[in-house]
Amino acid sequence: MNEEQRHEATETPAQNPGQGIRLPAPTATPMLFALGLSMVFAGLVTHWLVSSVGALIAMAGAYGWWRQVLPHEQHVRVPLQDPEKRALPVEARVGAVDHLQLGEGGHRVRLPADMHPYTSGFRGGAAGAVAMALVAMTYGGLFQGSIWFPVNLLASLLVAPPAAGEAALRAFDVANLGIGLFIHASLSLLVGLVYAALLPMLPGRVALWGGVVAPCLWSAVAWTSLEVLSPEMAQHVQWGWFVVSQIAFGLAAGVVIERAERSQTMQTWPLALRAGLEAGGGEDA
Amino acid sequence: MSSADLPLHASVEVPPAISWTDRLHGWVATVDHKRLGVLYVASGLVFLLVGGSQASMMRMQLFYAGNDLLSPEVFNRFFTVHGTSMVFFVGMPLVIGIANYLLPLMIGARDMAFPRLNAWGFWMFLFGALLFYFSYVGADGLYGAGTAPDVGWFAYSPLTGKAFSRGNSTDYWVLGILVAGFGSISAAINMIATTLTMRCRGMTLGRMPLFVWMMLVVSWLILVAMGPLTAAQVMLLFDRFLGAHFFDTQAGGDAVLWQHFFWFFGHPEVYILIIPGFAYASEIIPVFSRKVIFGYPVMVAATCAIGLLSLGVWAHHMFVVGLGKGVTSWFVVATMLVGVPTGIKIFNWIGTIYGGKLHFRVPMLFCTAFLFQFLIAGLTGIMLAAAPFDWQLSDSYFVVAHFHYVLIGGLVFTIFAAIYYWFPKVTGRMLSERLGRWHFWLFVVGFQLTFTTMHAQGLLGMPRRIYTYSADRNWEIWNQITTTGVLFQALGIAVFVCAIFHALRRGEPAGDDPWNAWTLEWSTSSPPPEYNFAEEPEVKSRRPLWDLKHPDDPDWRHE
Ligand SMILES: [Cu+2]
Repeated sequence: MNEEQRHEATETPAQNPGQGIRLPAPTATPMLFALGLSMVFAGLVTHWLVSSVGALIAMAGAYGWWRQVLPHEQHVRVPLQDPEKRALPVEARVGAVDHLQLGEGGHRVRLPADMHPYTSGFRGGAAGAVAMALVAMTYGGLFQGSIWFPVNLLASLLVAPPAAGEAALRAFDVANLGIGLFIHASLSLLVGLVYAALLPMLPGRVALWGGVVAPCLWSAVAWTSLEVLSPEMAQHVQWGWFVVSQIAFGLAAGVVIERAERSQTMQTWPLALRAGLEAGGGEDA
Repeated sequence: MSSADLPLHASVEVPPAISWTDRLHGWVATVDHKRLGVLYVASGLVFLLVGGSQASMMRMQLFYAGNDLLSPEVFNRFFTVHGTSMVFFVGMPLVIGIANYLLPLMIGARDMAFPRLNAWGFWMFLFGALLFYFSYVGADGLYGAGTAPDVGWFAYSPLTGKAFSRGNSTDYWVLGILVAGFGSISAAINMIATTLTMRCRGMTLGRMPLFVWMMLVVSWLILVAMGPLTAAQVMLLFDRFLGAHFFDTQAGGDAVLWQHFFWFFGHPEVYILIIPGFAYASEIIPVFSRKVIFGYPVMVAATCAIGLLSLGVWAHHMFVVGLGKGVTSWFVVATMLVGVPTGIKIFNWIGTIYGGKLHFRVPMLFCTAFLFQFLIAGLTGIMLAAAPFDWQLSDSYFVVAHFHYVLIGGLVFTIFAAIYYWFPKVTGRMLSERLGRWHFWLFVVGFQLTFTTMHAQGLLGMPRRIYTYSADRNWEIWNQITTTGVLFQALGIAVFVCAIFHALRRGEPAGDDPWNAWTLEWSTSSPPPEYNFAEEPEVKSRRPLWDLKHPDDPDWRHE
């Protein structure tokens, strides 16, 4: 923007009392230029005369437009509006503004305000894994006559089960133990991690979500999909105990995660801090 | 004061009675961004009625299997002219016009950076559109029988070659869009220059209303996308007038090249049309939720991300060409990526509504419907982005349903929201709330009936652009529901037209700030004076009017 334009854009009535405000002068020359150009193109599909006339109009328009801005930009002075038509000054509203506080009326304001460290997810997952294994082995020992029954069943997710059937499921097998432990550990740790990320965002009791709702949802997913994933396992699973073992996992993992010290998220930090451009400091950090 | 002021000085003190010729001259010679905005929007709405009538005629033709209300030739012209009009002569002028009116007001400027170029842009658009429509009387088509263009709105080669499109109906398609396209490019340059150089004191980039940010990104997209289309159209003109062979496959040309050129423009064009819809929603939803927009910086970042990502996805319109595994996979992934920033926006609007004190006035009603409908539009978009799905449904009514969900369910709904919201500023009068509600509900019902059912027709295998179908395909009942929806939409539009005329004559006076809003346009009078602001405003936050209304707790303390 050059000096003149800057002046035009910002000149106040006080600087030029009684003169009104300077605005660019109306002109039909851009319209003429556009009309001429369009006719030049229209001539391609009508008659060359249309193009010729169009070219003349376009030149006249372009010249007129040129004269509008060179050597001096043409202006008009528009008088100020009648006082009764002018905008009223914006009035301050009475009454102070209430700010939503953290936790007030069920609002969390930020999602999430603080969270569990990720390591607590791994620890929770491990605790859950142990609890779940204990329940499963109890079930195996009491009802199947072998504490290895559940882990063999789990291994059948990855490896085809032996043809020997139920007897083989009750026998101890090192390979199955390894595979079963691998599946159990990796799933447990991942679910623990998900718990750690999700729990602070869920409203209400952690025990309810982590201990009951999530295990039931998970069981429902397993119940509907196990037939496809592992027909062998689907045949032998005892669903009541399955749900109990899931709840054991949920409770153990939930308790461990919940006990971990929460840390503040960076959501309240200014962008520069979050981007690492500025060092933290001041009241909040 | 320079000498240039003097000759026109006298014309300022006009007598109260103005003859209609003076009035007409006033409109023709205006360089005022507000008047040009009104001209853009008014012409866009007129073409909306025209394009809508063509759509209604096509729907009537499809009401019965084997109907013969329209001949195949007329049907071909209708879908071509309908599509071209709605994109270039309805969507573009409405989007550019609304921005033209509001952008300087929102940043506290007295006009656009280039007021005369602004006028030129409008007239180029109008003359381009008129030239296009002149084809109905001025052009010869295939076998000398056709008049208007009939090659579809994306005018694929080789259909547009001299051999298949005789006469010059296709030339009218090229020239009309070419001329209007120059206007769009000038508007984009103007908006970028205005935004970057004309902001009032204190209006940093980070304090601009989201509307201004989004129009900045739209302008960038127009600048990048319009050029290749113009280039391709000039190449097509060379083919047709000078015997060049750019797209002539029989002479070593490449028909797929046209598709690349066209969609390199065509996909960003979708965002050029829908981001302004986001812009209106981002201004309206906070005001009617009585909350500040959720995640302003993320909204800006998401818009910029869309502005970049949308340039790299064009070939998802060309999956059925057979692009090869690598290219196809790239465009599948890139297209799905666009869903991320778009999804962020939807979450942010919901985050704005969440916990807010909601006022369901007409603008907010339209925005609410937009949220639901645009979500569905986005989801069918993701479905179509999966190449194997697209191979099945490309060029079917499923695609027609998808993009009408975007452009009507998304854009047209937010344009109505914007008109109900800013009409009081433009005219000083409120649109009737009661008529607005009638308009809204009729239009929602009509929209759902028409376009939700189109998904079904598409899944049942009905191709787009067919002028009739046989009864044994079981498509008739779906088509009849679709066409019935058109009746509701037409009634809605009729109510809307009544509401506008009613408001212009007897509308309630609006006052400066009828919605208790926060951006600068509401601080001046309604309608604003020619000079917008007598004194240059100064802002300290994203919501300057909030600061003035709440001196005890201004926004700049928190931003
Ligand atoms: Cu696309």
